[in-house]
Amino acid sequence: MIGAGIKRGTAELAILSVLEGGSLHGYEIAHRIERQTRGKLRFTLASLYPLLYRMENKGLVRGAWEVSGNGRRRRCYRLTPAGRKKLAPLRQEWSELFHALRQLAKVADA
Amino acid sequence: MRCGSLRRWPMPDWQKVVREQLAGSKAGHQEQEEAAVVAELADHLEETFESFCREGMSEQEATCRALAQVTDWNALRRKIRIARKKEDNMEPRVTRFWLPGLLGFALAMILEVVSYRFDSHPLVLSLDRGTPILRFHISWIFALLLVGAIAAYLSRRAGGTLRTSLLSSIFPALPFAAVFLVAIPGLVVGHPIAYGIVAETILYMVLGWVLAPAIALLTGGLFVQRFLSGGSRSSHGVNAGAA
Repeated sequence: MIGAGIKRGTAELAILSVLEGGSLHGYEIAHRIERQTRGKLRFTLASLYPLLYRMENKGLVRGAWEVSGNGRRRRCYRLTPAGRKKLAPLRQEWSELFHALRQLAKVADA
Repeated sequence: MRCGSLRRWPMPDWQKVVREQLAGSKAGHQEQEEAAVVAELADHLEETFESFCREGMSEQEATCRALAQVTDWNALRRKIRIARKKEDNMEPRVTRFWLPGLLGFALAMILEVVSYRFDSHPLVLSLDRGTPILRFHISWIFALLLVGAIAAYLSRRAGGTLRTSLLSSIFPALPFAAVFLVAIPGLVVGHPIAYGIVAETILYMVLGWVLAPAIALLTGGLFVQRFLSGGSRSSHGVNAGAA
């Protein structure tokens, strides 16, 4: 069972990563994460928005209503400087964790 | 929400669906914020619905699958409220009240020590028998005008309301009020001592450590309020004129 803290950490990393390329609205964020992880990571409406609002409160992302090409109003999220700053160390942290887990798995297999 | 409760096909009014599920009576800007959340979630459901339809699902099936993303609307409402509330309540409370108040308290204490060391003519209040019970530094009281003004200014700068900024300006007097009005009377009750003398002592202490400082702090705070509101009034006037 993956703990809530780890889940939230990976989810934050996923959202920050997809927003690195530019602003996206909620549905697009979920869709892009699912596509880029080939369905390994999935966000539903119920899991995505509380996290987005929490990240917005922490100042990592900023949401603003924008009108898209087809005239539809959407709330788009973009990285804040604080979010951008957090991305690199967060990636490093998770990379180290996965590396450690792989090492552990190798030891277990041997 | 059960899929069967949606009687009409095709596509439901997603805003209505979400509003009904997240319903709560709110006022003012809370209502606007809730409306924004409803619009955003409805937009997400609509996109999901359209995506399922593009995949070849019937509208009924697409609606059910879209709604299946939320199994517990109450839990979602709670989570959203918590996620959005943190910044609304916690952080501003710190910057608008606690920080200015604590800074004021620290400044007041430093100035008290300075006054004690350099003010060689304190007023000394004594009991009937001549026992001095309170050294009263007038210079400190005057210095508190500035402390109250600084605390109120910092609070207002952080977006504090009139009440919050005045509370943060009198903050340095609050710990003493708690000590002299609650803690000490609570400690002496039930002990075989002369209550008349104790009451008189407490009265002097309250006067010197609570009332006089609070009045000075509040005066400083009110001065800042007057100054800032005067400034904002004049700036409004300029804007109106320009318009």
